[in-house]
Amino acid sequence: MFASIVSYGLAVGAVYALIGITYNVMFSASRVFSFTAGMLGMLGGVLGALFIAKMGLPAIVGLVLVLACGAVIGLVTELLTVRPVLKSIEQHLYVLSTLAFALMVQQLTAVEWGTEAQPFPRLIPIGPGWLDQQFWLPMLACAVTIVGLELLYRKTLIGRAFLAIAEDSYAARALGLPETQLRMASFALAGVIGTLAGFTGAEMLLAFFGNQSILNFYGFVPVALGGMGSNRGAVVGGLALGLFQQAANFLVGGIFAAVAVFAVFIIVLLLRPEGLAGASTARRV
Amino acid sequence: MSITRRKVLAGSAVGAASLASGLAAPAIAANEPIKIGYLPALTGPSSSTGIGINRGTVLAVDEINAGGGIDGRKIELIVRDTQSDPTKAVNAVAELAQRQKVAIVWGPLNSGEALAATPLIARDKVPMLHPCWVDELIDVKKYPMAFRIAPTNTQVGGGANYYVVDVLKLKKVAVISDTTGYGTASVNTYVPMLKAKGAEVVYENHVDAANPDLKPELLRMQSAGAQAIMPWSVNAGFLSRILNTRGAMGWDVPVVGQTTLGSGQTKALLEKPENWNKVYSNNFRQVCFADGKLPERAQEFVERLKKAKIEMGDTLLWWIALGWDGAKMMGDTLKAAGPKADDIVAHWNKTKGWPGVYGTVTWTPEQHNGFPDSEVVMCEVNSLKDGAFNLAPGYAA
Amino acid sequence: MTDTSAPAQPVRALSLARIEGALPWIALGLVGLLLPLLDDSYIGVIAQRAFIYWILSAGLNLVVGYAGQIAIGWVSMLTLGAYTTAALTAGTATPAWHPYLALVAGGAVGALFGVIVGLPALRLRTFYFAMTTLGFATIVTQVALAWKEVTGGGVGTPGPVFPWPFDPGWGFYYFCFILAALATWMTANLASSRFGRALVAIRDAEVAAEASGVAKPRLLVAVFLFAGALGGVAGGLFASLQSYITPDAFTFEMSVLFFIAILIGGRGSILGPALGTIVLTVLPEFAAPLVQWSTFLYAALLLLIVLIIPGGIADLLDYKNRRPLERHREIVPRPELLARVLDRRTGGEVLSLANVELSFGGVRAIAGLDLEIRPGEVHGLIGPNGSGKTTTLNVISGYYAPEAGQVRLGDAVLPPRAPHLRADYRIARTFQTPRLIGGASVLDNVMIGGTIDGQGSFAESLLTLPRHRRDEKRLREAAMLALAVVGLDQLAAVRADRLQHSELRFMEIARALMLRPACLMLDEPAAGLSADEIRRLGALIVAISRQGTAVLLVEHHADLIFDICDRVTVLNLGKVLAAGTPAEIRSHREVVSAYLGA
Repeated sequence: MFASIVSYGLAVGAVYALIGITYNVMFSASRVFSFTAGMLGMLGGVLGALFIAKMGLPAIVGLVLVLACGAVIGLVTELLTVRPVLKSIEQHLYVLSTLAFALMVQQLTAVEWGTEAQPFPRLIPIGPGWLDQQFWLPMLACAVTIVGLELLYRKTLIGRAFLAIAEDSYAARALGLPETQLRMASFALAGVIGTLAGFTGAEMLLAFFGNQSILNFYGFVPVALGGMGSNRGAVVGGLALGLFQQAANFLVGGIFAAVAVFAVFIIVLLLRPEGLAGASTARRV
Repeated sequence: MSITRRKVLAGSAVGAASLASGLAAPAIAANEPIKIGYLPALTGPSSSTGIGINRGTVLAVDEINAGGGIDGRKIELIVRDTQSDPTKAVNAVAELAQRQKVAIVWGPLNSGEALAATPLIARDKVPMLHPCWVDELIDVKKYPMAFRIAPTNTQVGGGANYYVVDVLKLKKVAVISDTTGYGTASVNTYVPMLKAKGAEVVYENHVDAANPDLKPELLRMQSAGAQAIMPWSVNAGFLSRILNTRGAMGWDVPVVGQTTLGSGQTKALLEKPENWNKVYSNNFRQVCFADGKLPERAQEFVERLKKAKIEMGDTLLWWIALGWDGAKMMGDTLKAAGPKADDIVAHWNKTKGWPGVYGTVTWTPEQHNGFPDSEVVMCEVNSLKDGAFNLAPGYAA
Repeated sequence: MTDTSAPAQPVRALSLARIEGALPWIALGLVGLLLPLLDDSYIGVIAQRAFIYWILSAGLNLVVGYAGQIAIGWVSMLTLGAYTTAALTAGTATPAWHPYLALVAGGAVGALFGVIVGLPALRLRTFYFAMTTLGFATIVTQVALAWKEVTGGGVGTPGPVFPWPFDPGWGFYYFCFILAALATWMTANLASSRFGRALVAIRDAEVAAEASGVAKPRLLVAVFLFAGALGGVAGGLFASLQSYITPDAFTFEMSVLFFIAILIGGRGSILGPALGTIVLTVLPEFAAPLVQWSTFLYAALLLLIVLIIPGGIADLLDYKNRRPLERHREIVPRPELLARVLDRRTGGEVLSLANVELSFGGVRAIAGLDLEIRPGEVHGLIGPNGSGKTTTLNVISGYYAPEAGQVRLGDAVLPPRAPHLRADYRIARTFQTPRLIGGASVLDNVMIGGTIDGQGSFAESLLTLPRHRRDEKRLREAAMLALAVVGLDQLAAVRADRLQHSELRFMEIARALMLRPACLMLDEPAAGLSADEIRRLGALIVAISRQGTAVLLVEHHADLIFDICDRVTVLNLGKVLAAGTPAEIRSHREVVSAYLGA
């Protein structure tokens, strides 16, 4: 019982954490909260099932293809929904444009792929057990992403450029950093991370269009709690959320578990609107 | 799949054209087609039943029309896809009853929409035929013109309960459903029925279908000593998770429950084929293999489907048969009684032993549930062939 | 004797605009009234649905369109209202209620939860708030599923049936029509009241709204209460129309539909969202084969609107703001009208800072500042960039709390960190970058300044009771007068974002004048003005001070400072470098070397 809660909790929590990181990467580059994080997660599963199960490609090829699609979709998101509205001072406009785009993709998936959950293929042909790949694949993906991002931000020039844009985009531009290209690269990166999350989590969550709404919300909770922009906060928040959710499912059952998660989310946000690790908003006058 | 979609689009195009011309409300004149309102959910979350039923309905209507129709008048199916959404069903009922002035309404095919549509169709005094299972949908006093051509939830659960308690002779039962209306209603109805039969319900719960991990639930069932699991849900993902978890735990208990346990979608989500062993789902005697053979009417029907090149492997035979029966019943009624509402209802009230492919239908003025108890049976799901199954072991033939 | 009457023309243009505005409503009303003559129940059902959705959307319009809060999950109000009304009439929780009472209860429950859902908006950022509304909508559906005894759980529960004369059929149709008309009337009233303007000000120019005394929390709570009530009532009507409700009827798609209808219609408009709601309700009925694509099309429409016409249908219909403006406009202030605007009585108190200190992190922005601004005087505050001029203004305005020292008006200590209370003290200001509500008219922008002078309550505005009407009349006249003072009265009906930069600066002054300020603070008002305009600005500022107002002028234009100021204080590195008359300052050695140059 306990082992089950821990293994599922951490696994699904790792998926949530990765979606949270997706939100963060998009936010850092553009100060835009994008509704497309859950969409990327959903597509990771759906496209994976499409390439590997329906089209018969080998798993590795399927994975690479899915990540490539994620990058492309990330670029499209930036081009179509973020860049055109960045000039406007009103923040809510980009919330709306990303929401509209995410909805369009979700409905398209529902119509073309179907509204029922479809099976996701077994990636590594080893049998199930308590160390099943359903569990460690997402956690591995999470670890790889975290390490990868740390290396990127600290060791590479482009990573440090990302950080610069996130800290102070005016100063960064004044220094000659190409803000637009960096933003595009960030969104592509977010696309890769988001689809990776969905791909590795799909053996648990299945290839299902409804995952978008689920991941949108549960992927956002770690960000809200851990602080927008803080990847470490997202990981801690995601894993904690996964464990809490599974424990609540076990203790009080599905319906009340959802209420419990939401209640905790709201209470923490009201007490600390910037999250447990985030920074307060800048000067406005 | 493409056959269905083409037919649906064709039907919808016809429907759209009628909507456009609807302002001139047509009287049912000599050579004009007889309109039948049809409310399937062909898209949206609960559409798999609709798609299956649709194949049968469209085939039957085509055959009737090819054979000259009803005294020279063709049947026109006016299709309004409800999209599994009760609000769309309500809009569609208004259109079909008031503007199109249909002779009969066939459907909605899903309980959720039927619950909203039935009172409104009754208010508009249009005869209604539907295949939904929720008990509350039939009430001779509130809805005198509504008739059901399928079993009720009580009958279905009764069949499963009978199998577990009287055939398998098991005493301790775990009952689990998802959190949808159908799931919760089923559990609420079946648990008291089980207890009345002397069984002990050691576990009873509703679980969110999206939950990827059902291990805690099955572990709780196991530690309570359950000898059988009875799941009630039309969600293939949920059902497959139950079967997969049972397999992973190596827990050898029979699973007895909802028809969808045997659907192609559930099968596709299984981790290994053995997980489909010892699973018994509701089915209907007229469409099950007994000693390797289908009953005569069903066998004939399957030949007919093969000739019309209708796909059976990705759906269930009984859905197609049900759709066929519904349309055929309406065709037979219109031929015998004519298109007037009161005549149709009077004819239905007298129906006795009508030989459908799916079931043998009998109605009386006091009983508008037409499906006989004896024809609700359990089948063995891993015997799936051409959309039909073997009768579960232990049934007298 | 100079002509002291405000020019009549712009006012007439405004009332003409109001009649233009009523025409579409009259048309819609006639269509609604006469629709039953078609005797087509199908059209009747669609129309009833449109009315019901509009009742909810009218309230949501105030939340999303006016207050700018992204409440995506607002379908929860419909769910709550529907289940409350249905459960009470069915008697599942209490002995059965009469349907009309149950409907009122549904509205009350909606109001309560509207506030609960809305409260986070006061603390959370836009996206966070959007997510919480989504989460709340899911929770409500889950609870409806779980609470079987009352809601029927997944099987659902029958909806209420209203008795004669509003029984199902055309009777109920008229019930929905009347309520929809009422909802429209009330929301339109609110929109054109000081509360509506304040809402939009919070949305687009929050800082200016605060400076004008708008208390955001109270206003938002009132709006969420009202919008929630409308949503709850809509829910009760919905349950009746559906005749039977199940949790799966309240989908995310429905929430999206309401939300998109408002944005397609255009924010800050009532007619636009109404048309949007009607279109989105009716559209799926025309394209039966496309029904599964309907949400996709709504989303695509939303994307199109956001990218191309952010103002929505309302913008498209806004003909009067497409008429070209005169190109070479001159701003000609009329300071002689000031006597009618300002209250000589409230002048007379000194604004003083005593030993104020403030640091940001390690940087000492203000290091021990003493300042005295006397009524009837123009006090200039100059200094190099980064010397703390704007920070000083912000401390006086209350945006920052000083770490040491006090800010006083007369004897009263001004409460720190309470910028919206400054208006009560009659302290007004303008901003370095003009803060305006682009989509509103110049007159509306100026009327914001007088928000705290209104006496009518929120409820009185909803119903246009006499006190509200008196408020509006007075505010309007005062604003026209203020505009005449600064010379912008000809542009009163024009959208503010069409004005030139210099006109915006004068508009801010007009807005500040609405407070009849005892103390007026101007933050670089001459930036971007031509030489002529600077001269007229100077004359205006002097005239304002001569009416008894204490004026604090932060500026870089040395000529303007030395021309009009009675006293000048020079700041450098957060400290007073020199203080005195302009003549003294101009020749002060250190000032010359640090700032003025030889």
